[in-house]
Amino acid sequence: MPKYVDSKIAINAVVSAVAEYKGLVKDHDPDDGDHVTPGEIRRFLARLRLLHGVPFSYIVPDADLLPIETIRFFYIDRAWTDALVQGVLSVATITTVDRVQLEAVYPHIRNEVDEAERAIRRPKEEARLQDKGGTITGFLMRSRLVSGWPNLHVRAYSRDVIADDALTTAAESHPDRMKVLRMERLAPAVLLVLFDGVPAVVHIEEPRQGIQFGVRIAENDPPNQRRVKVRDNNTGDPKPPTDEFTAGNSVVVPFRKNAPGVINVTELRKLLAAKAPNSGGSLEPNEYALQMLRFPYRQVFGDPKDDEGVKFFELDKFKVTISLKDWKTTVSDSIVKVNL
Amino acid sequence: MPKTGHFILHSNVIPTVTAGRYELVTDQTGLPFTVAAERTHVIVASPRYTMPTDQILSTFPPANAEGAFGDRLPQIVLKRRTLPWERNPEGVATPSSIPWLAMVVVAEGEAQLSSATPVAQCVTEGTKLLDAATDKDVEQGLYLAVTETVVKKIFPCKQDLELMVHVREVNIDDTELANGDDDGWLAVVLANRLPVFDEANKKPVRYMACLVNLEGQLDALPPPEPPVDHFNFALAQDWRALATIDPRIGPDPRVMGGNFAGNVALPAGARASRRSDRATRAPNAAIEYRAPRVGSSIDGAAAMNDQPVSGQWSSATQHVNTVALDPDAKRLVRDGMAIGFRLPIELFAREKVLRFPVLAHWSFTTNEGATFESLMRDLDVSLLGSAPAETPSDAELVQTGHIGLDHRSRRGDRMRAWYRGPCVPFPTKRDQSKPGEPLEIAHSADQLRRVVPDGREDLSYAAAFEIGRLLALSQLSIVSALMRFRSEQFGAGRIRRLLEEIAAVKLPSALDASVDLSRFVALGMMDEMVINRTRIIGPRRPIADPGRPLDVRGDLDEIIATGLGLDLAAIRKTGDRVGIMAALEQTIAPVASKDGRIEINKQTVLGLNNGLRTELGRVLEVAAPAPVIRAGRRRGAAPQADSLDALIEDAIDDEEEL
Repeated sequence: MPKYVDSKIAINAVVSAVAEYKGLVKDHDPDDGDHVTPGEIRRFLARLRLLHGVPFSYIVPDADLLPIETIRFFYIDRAWTDALVQGVLSVATITTVDRVQLEAVYPHIRNEVDEAERAIRRPKEEARLQDKGGTITGFLMRSRLVSGWPNLHVRAYSRDVIADDALTTAAESHPDRMKVLRMERLAPAVLLVLFDGVPAVVHIEEPRQGIQFGVRIAENDPPNQRRVKVRDNNTGDPKPPTDEFTAGNSVVVPFRKNAPGVINVTELRKLLAAKAPNSGGSLEPNEYALQMLRFPYRQVFGDPKDDEGVKFFELDKFKVTISLKDWKTTVSDSIVKVNL
Repeated sequence: MPKTGHFILHSNVIPTVTAGRYELVTDQTGLPFTVAAERTHVIVASPRYTMPTDQILSTFPPANAEGAFGDRLPQIVLKRRTLPWERNPEGVATPSSIPWLAMVVVAEGEAQLSSATPVAQCVTEGTKLLDAATDKDVEQGLYLAVTETVVKKIFPCKQDLELMVHVREVNIDDTELANGDDDGWLAVVLANRLPVFDEANKKPVRYMACLVNLEGQLDALPPPEPPVDHFNFALAQDWRALATIDPRIGPDPRVMGGNFAGNVALPAGARASRRSDRATRAPNAAIEYRAPRVGSSIDGAAAMNDQPVSGQWSSATQHVNTVALDPDAKRLVRDGMAIGFRLPIELFAREKVLRFPVLAHWSFTTNEGATFESLMRDLDVSLLGSAPAETPSDAELVQTGHIGLDHRSRRGDRMRAWYRGPCVPFPTKRDQSKPGEPLEIAHSADQLRRVVPDGREDLSYAAAFEIGRLLALSQLSIVSALMRFRSEQFGAGRIRRLLEEIAAVKLPSALDASVDLSRFVALGMMDEMVINRTRIIGPRRPIADPGRPLDVRGDLDEIIATGLGLDLAAIRKTGDRVGIMAALEQTIAPVASKDGRIEINKQTVLGLNNGLRTELGRVLEVAAPAPVIRAGRRRGAAPQADSLDALIEDAIDDEEEL
């Protein structure tokens, strides 16, 4: 037994303490169990990883990257968010021992913060999801849609399982649905959404304030004409073809003469009854309501089957589309290592 | 009940009896005697002039909202499914499939919403109502005053009415559809008018949706007309000019018309003279004539700023938002939403003005032609980091998503550097360290600066590091949490390892709540001392020592006699004769006093008494000490027994044995 502490003993003590870090330090959290990192730090870092509090100019350094009326999809650069976390951890590391310790504990912190990321936004009645950290993707939308329609519904799916016009949707913990890690209006007209994974399909839906009734504008009609698409009275399904207005599947809304926007309901009923399947020649009030139903509009991004005729966002766009030669001329290997 | 996410539409749910007073008469037959008829009175109550707020589940468009509502029919959802059929609009007691409620949408300037008025005056004069005097849910209600022209243009036809109301059955567990209803049955009243945008003038239009009572006034509704396949936005009748009338003008000029009325152009049906009608047109009048508006003073609202009427649209919305914060919000919000619909049309209209009781009303603004759908379709979709295709950008963008930015080096040189934010257009690798090696971590931002082959620096990660550091430093609680994490938890672990190196003692488990090292050492010492008691502490002292041997030298009798001052030889001699006891009795013992006498006087007695008392007090104090009260006692549970306790107990046991 030595009679004094020499530097060798001191260093050995640090090295062995570092090696058994997990056995030494334990933070008990009533919400999510035992971790090495204290819950306070874990949650702060996880929020930071989801870009909470990061100045917007650091996220979008130039306004040209996000002009008005645009939606921009992106991947989150994990190396960037890791650098952010390392910046936080560097606070008050003064001595070599501090840094040795930080290097030892950093793998624990990184893994635990990866897990904590998923717990930052957890809607009521949704199961708690827990796994190692993966790819985070998302989009920024700058549009009047964000300011004019607060509470947009945003859903992402790993597989295109939901019919594009289905009313119901899968729960957020459903395996085919991607968890939304963050959804926030950064400014009145800028929406930031982060997904836990790479979605195949993204749905953006008009807020559902109850069920609505109304008419539609066909693309080639004059602006003061409106149409209603007819539905099957027995099933409620729209009459095909679903993606366009034809004389067979829609009626021109009859208006009252000299009255702005007043619908001639009786006449509309007759027109709808003539075209809607299974109407029996006339429409009851409930059948009339069925014809006038308008589901919230849903924009589908990335749908391989473009049923609605909407502009769709090809899945290929999520892959690198840059040639190796071009890429090498701009940035070298040492900065960004891309999986080609 | 329908499945979640599904709902069933019903045409109507007609109650067996309508609202009103009923008499229940019993009549029993088949008995050998007659039974007197039992007469009971029943009142079937239903709203008539105002809709209780708890019966309104939702409205669309939302109250006071601004948006592109031009393609959606305004609607109100009522909780009681029979409500629209609880009265017969014909004014009779029998149930009817034609609802008595209708949703009417009026644009600003087309109609007048009254302030609180006794309910008898809330209907057009001469309207016959069932039990008008007794069947009223409130004393004062609101009514909508509209000219016959407007009724003809915007009110539904009698044939339309039953199509505008239906019943919806939803699953009450489906919050998105049921929204807090109790039984899942809802009555929905739809409007017949699309709240369209003013396409010609590109101006937002403020609409008010009113749930009106049509009882007894079905004949006033317009007859069916041949339809047209398009519409043009124009107000059914434009009374907005009334808002510019000077309220200080007396009633005469108003009735007589002419310039006294403020040169405002009124619709053709107004009482104002034709001359003034031709003289100025409404837009000019609205701009040129600047005076407090009668519309605002009549309804009691505070005088408003002098601004064109169109300016009211946005200010009304703001006004409602402001008054919603008031304690009296319930009344004020409704009142605020009626701004712009308080024009005194009844005073000016030359044609007949009809009144319809308003059960519920709210206003909203259709602000643009752009719908959700059209905006979505026109959205420019791309990946972040790509420049807009159509408009050339002067930003220095490359395909990796990096952007060239001005950079000032530490030496003060102005340069350009590359930067890329956390959002990149393609997947990137997370870290550069090889598997098996420890993760790389930067300790300062400079470690993350990179120089790319074109000679410029890439500062993306260095900037991320630095902003992370600043964000952490901006929150004191995070800084202190980091310090605690580092010093308390890891520091303790480090000291433990150090102790294990230098001290060959077994430390308690690392994860115990906390280790008090001094106590731990004391306990360890105590253990050692108990085990090696004789070696460390030494043998125990016996409770009682053996007596000291008396040192007696010589004859005992002689020593005693010497001690008592007796003559031993003389006693022995006498003893030989009379026995030793008698000899001792005969011998006179020497005493200390001179002559063997003690002089007793008062002083001696007093001295003796005092001596006795003092001695007695001392003895008593020793025998029964005064109790000592200690100020504070040690709290908490008895400490865990340790080896010291064992040692003490051991000692007590030994004592008892002896």
